[in-house]
Amino acid sequence: MTEPTSPNVTAGGRVQLARPKEPYIPPREWIRDNLFSTPFNSILTVLFTALVFVMTRGMLGFIFGHDRRWEAPATNLRFLMTQAYPDEQYIRVWFTFGWILALAGLSLAAWNAAPRVGYRNLARKAASVGVAVALIGLVAPAMSTSGRLQYVLIGAIPMAAGIIALKILDNHDTRDMSAFVVQVLVVAGIILSLWTVPYGQHTFVDGAARVDSGTVAQSTKLPLTIMLLVIIAAFYVGRTIRPHFKQLKAVLGGIWLLSPFILTTLVLRDPAFDSGHLLSTDIPIGLAFALGGGAILWLLSSAKAGETGRIAAAIILVLAFASFLTPMRMIVRIDALMLAGAALSSATFAGSREARLRFVGGWMGAIVIVNWLVTATNTPSTVFGLPTGTFYGGGLTLTLIITSFTLIFAFPLGVTMALARTSKMPIFRVMSTAYIETIRGIPLITVFIFFAIMLPLLLPDGMEVAKIPAIVIGYVLFSSAYLAENVRGGLQSIGRGQHEAAEALGLTTAQKTLMITLPQALRVSIPPLVGQAIGTFKESSLVLIVGLFDLLFIARNVIPNTSGFLGAQREPLMVASFIYWAGSYSMSKASQRVERKLGLGER
Amino acid sequence: MTDTVKQHRDLSNAKDMIVCQGVNKWYGDFQALSDITATVKETEVVVVLGPSGSGKSTWIRCVNRLEHHQSGNIIVDGVELTNDVRNIEKIRSEVGMVFQQFNLFPHLTVLDNITLAPKWVRKLPKAEAEEKAMELLEIVGIPEQADKYPGQMSGGQQQRVAIARALAMEPRIMLFDEPTSALDPEMIKEVLDVMKGLARSGMTMMVVTHEMGFAREVADRIIFMEDGEIVEVGTPEHFFTDPEEDRTKLFLSQIL
Repeated sequence: MTEPTSPNVTAGGRVQLARPKEPYIPPREWIRDNLFSTPFNSILTVLFTALVFVMTRGMLGFIFGHDRRWEAPATNLRFLMTQAYPDEQYIRVWFTFGWILALAGLSLAAWNAAPRVGYRNLARKAASVGVAVALIGLVAPAMSTSGRLQYVLIGAIPMAAGIIALKILDNHDTRDMSAFVVQVLVVAGIILSLWTVPYGQHTFVDGAARVDSGTVAQSTKLPLTIMLLVIIAAFYVGRTIRPHFKQLKAVLGGIWLLSPFILTTLVLRDPAFDSGHLLSTDIPIGLAFALGGGAILWLLSSAKAGETGRIAAAIILVLAFASFLTPMRMIVRIDALMLAGAALSSATFAGSREARLRFVGGWMGAIVIVNWLVTATNTPSTVFGLPTGTFYGGGLTLTLIITSFTLIFAFPLGVTMALARTSKMPIFRVMSTAYIETIRGIPLITVFIFFAIMLPLLLPDGMEVAKIPAIVIGYVLFSSAYLAENVRGGLQSIGRGQHEAAEALGLTTAQKTLMITLPQALRVSIPPLVGQAIGTFKESSLVLIVGLFDLLFIARNVIPNTSGFLGAQREPLMVASFIYWAGSYSMSKASQRVERKLGLGER
Repeated sequence: MTDTVKQHRDLSNAKDMIVCQGVNKWYGDFQALSDITATVKETEVVVVLGPSGSGKSTWIRCVNRLEHHQSGNIIVDGVELTNDVRNIEKIRSEVGMVFQQFNLFPHLTVLDNITLAPKWVRKLPKAEAEEKAMELLEIVGIPEQADKYPGQMSGGQQQRVAIARALAMEPRIMLFDEPTSALDPEMIKEVLDVMKGLARSGMTMMVVTHEMGFAREVADRIIFMEDGEIVEVGTPEHFFTDPEEDRTKLFLSQIL
């Protein structure tokens, strides 16, 4: 008789047996049970295997075809990423990329977001990758024998490593490692290959494409190596400071939110930026309203202001309207109107010293934000548009800029719309319903054309808007309508009991919305919201309709029309598709992880 | 049936906490409450009985204005319930309510569920609110669950958290709307025990329930409702042994 395997005894004295281990199923049986269980299933299996085989072979035949001109995307990779950003200023692009990677590394550490991968899982993945690579060599049509051999040999390495590891590791091995380390190792391997493997150097000199032998250009492999080091360093810095820095997540969240603004206005802007106008006009106006207006509001919110205060506020309102009758900078008029509004409502904020300080502080914040927005869209030589109307950072950069700005602004607007549509106040409900239904009835292309071409004509004198901000404004209005409907779905899924419990505790409507219904509604709406974010990312390619050079437009129209690559359209398009896919897939993956983390408390 | 019946207390000199005068309520054309007139005194425990659909829950929900009555007056702790938002907020922060379906906030931990309203409505500092919450969890007997989410607890535990959440606002009146109806039998006792303790501590309570044992043992007065109106009012002794109305007798014969 053998020893019983360590029985656990419960408090009640019942012996709890360990769950029996899953029995080993030999591959033959597994295949029979899962693929050929019935004649019909056998037919399906055979049919679909054949289909997959034919499609894969066709795809590989395309990729490895002799007449493929992969030098088109290879030479123009930088063009696809950033359009014609000047070479001598390219450090700005790398700085932006590095900034994002550094933030990503810090955030991975701060949120402890990197998943863990089990050793066995890893070994299985390595083996599968090896099999896939080897299969490429075996299946691909039109490939030289030495080429096939190369693929099979390269694939054999991870395959063998994976299979050996699986043999060594116990069936129930529970050890695991951070997926971040795995990914870094894989990327490090790729970057190492850039330094050692002669992929060839693609350059474009004097209107002709040239391919030199040797490893890729120094200007590609060196920055990429530095980028890898940046994200590794950031990750370990984040891990070190995490225990000592309580607000790390909040600070990082804030930096993420501000990054698009900081990067586009300070880093990715026109290198020959004319700061004279900024210093002589924009900043003084903003400062005057922030400080002068703040002082006025401080006086008006005093308890003693009374009737005099109301008269003063009325005078400011009259002056603000009068400014529209005389020639004046638009920003002054906007600021004056804002000041009038704040002055009229200042009696509501009268009270303790702290309350008045908060009021004045809020005013200054609002002025800074509004003036920044107007200046950024209105000044020709910020990143958003050169005097000539062209834009430095096209390609993927433009796609990402449009996407991120749209998402940042559309989210709060959409949530507000959803709340308005579910509100008890008829005026809000009607307005938001009308807005949503109108926008949803208009094609995106129409919105883009309207905002890029019509909006500048409709603006009052003295107010300009560059093409990219105009597009972003239109895209924000468009996306927020759809976003509002997604959030509304979430809001309606919150049961009546939650509202009643919050009300019975004496929470105000605002508190109830912010702390009870909205968090639950947003959690429910994560899948549709991420779906929409992915859509926003991909559909931004429609900006080609108003002549902006985004990733897709460069791949489809610009490269095939460049001398040296005439007609080479399919290769850049395939690269562009891959980039879109990679972006969308990582968003989708990230959202699944967020869902799992948030779902922890619920059954 | 020799359950302990609560000794009759003389509360005629106590302050009026809830006064209802001729309250009527309609859902569409259906009259849910007709001419409800009743008073609940300070520290009194009133149990409302009646068949389902008799308007018990509607009435108790009118008392903190989760439902609006169309005519008559409801005065809670000296404040009349009208559409004035400030009155409603004042009443609600003084009247705790426990629901049949618990209605805990599933995205917050137990501790956050309890401290939310004290922090935001009573403006209590976080540390103080949490200390108070732990005391209350101690009273309802589940201090070790403070960091769990509602979805990870049994129904009885959730209902006890819901009671602690209501008590954290230091209410002067507690309303219970069928607090044990959604619970498995073995969990009913743990919730009733908490409620009994609360009644002993002198809380003014209005309880809608089907637990006859609880009514007999804890109630000062029992109000029997049917078809939206009050049929009979009396002490438990009177109610269970010597009811006057035929409808009350019929109800008792069906459930006992």
